[in-house]
Amino acid sequence: MNQWSTLFQKELIEMWRNFKWVWVPITFILLGVSEPVSSYYLPQIIDSLGGLPEGTVIEIPPPTASEVLIQGLSQYTTIGVLIIVLSTMAIIAGERKSGVAAMILVKPVSYFSFITAKWAGGFLLLWVSLLIGSIATWYYTGILFDWIPIDLFFQSYLLYGLWLTVVLTLTVFFSASLLTPGIAGFTSLAVVFVFTLVTGPLSNWLEWSPSQLTNYANELLLSSAIPDDTLPASLLTLACIIILLWLSVFIFRKKELAS
Amino acid sequence: MDVLVNNLPILAPIFIIQLILIIVAIIDLIRIETTNGPKWLWVLIILFINILGPILYFVIGRKRY
Repeated sequence: MNQWSTLFQKELIEMWRNFKWVWVPITFILLGVSEPVSSYYLPQIIDSLGGLPEGTVIEIPPPTASEVLIQGLSQYTTIGVLIIVLSTMAIIAGERKSGVAAMILVKPVSYFSFITAKWAGGFLLLWVSLLIGSIATWYYTGILFDWIPIDLFFQSYLLYGLWLTVVLTLTVFFSASLLTPGIAGFTSLAVVFVFTLVTGPLSNWLEWSPSQLTNYANELLLSSAIPDDTLPASLLTLACIIILLWLSVFIFRKKELAS
Repeated sequence: MDVLVNNLPILAPIFIIQLILIIVAIIDLIRIETTNGPKWLWVLIILFINILGPILYFVIGRKRY
């Protein structure tokens, strides 16, 4: 445990030194907040671009608060995923390439603590950034549109966080099992993309799929009732995370012993 | 001008955190030894591409080790 916390602290210090603790939360804030702000100012933006032609009658209904919040949060499943993958793809593959991993692993450090400490660092960064970003989005939605009950917001925050944790764990897995950061990042993005793509049209059958979690979070915000399949989907997601993490330790150990 | 003053409480925090992002990126750029691609190019990208510039720098501009 002592060893693990040392590795974990090393991870946190490293993330502080390369400013991940600054730029990831700020990016998440800007991503989320841009949605309520731009929908609030949409009429002014249209006017300043020359306005609609004389006589056109296009009523743009003002979006409801939950719609705006959903739009803001859904930025995290697109650009947010991209940022998570790009910023964690080198987490293990990069250290192997530069030789830092070898330097740490000649000491009596278990592979398990090496990988899980790295994963925990990324996990903490992700949840803190998502919390700051989504609270900012929620706050801006509140002052510009309408306040959404904070318990609803927190429930959907948890669901979004769970799905993004799957993305993070997948990236750690590929980073441990593939040799180069670039390939690891690309593969994780491709897998996440295919996963969401397959789940979309088959949502009636794949009710427990982890990528459904964000849809459930949106439904929750719209109807303020938790959809039925949320619990099994979350449990399956937790299982996926644990299995992926275990697999990455397993594969990493095999690869390191082979090389 | 009136519009600007009325909306200042809403927009000012956003400008401030954007500014922080730019400043942090520039500080990091000064301290780092080498980047992917010429350093002066990254200065221009960080300063002139709104929001996306500093993020791009952190994601692909920093050379690891």
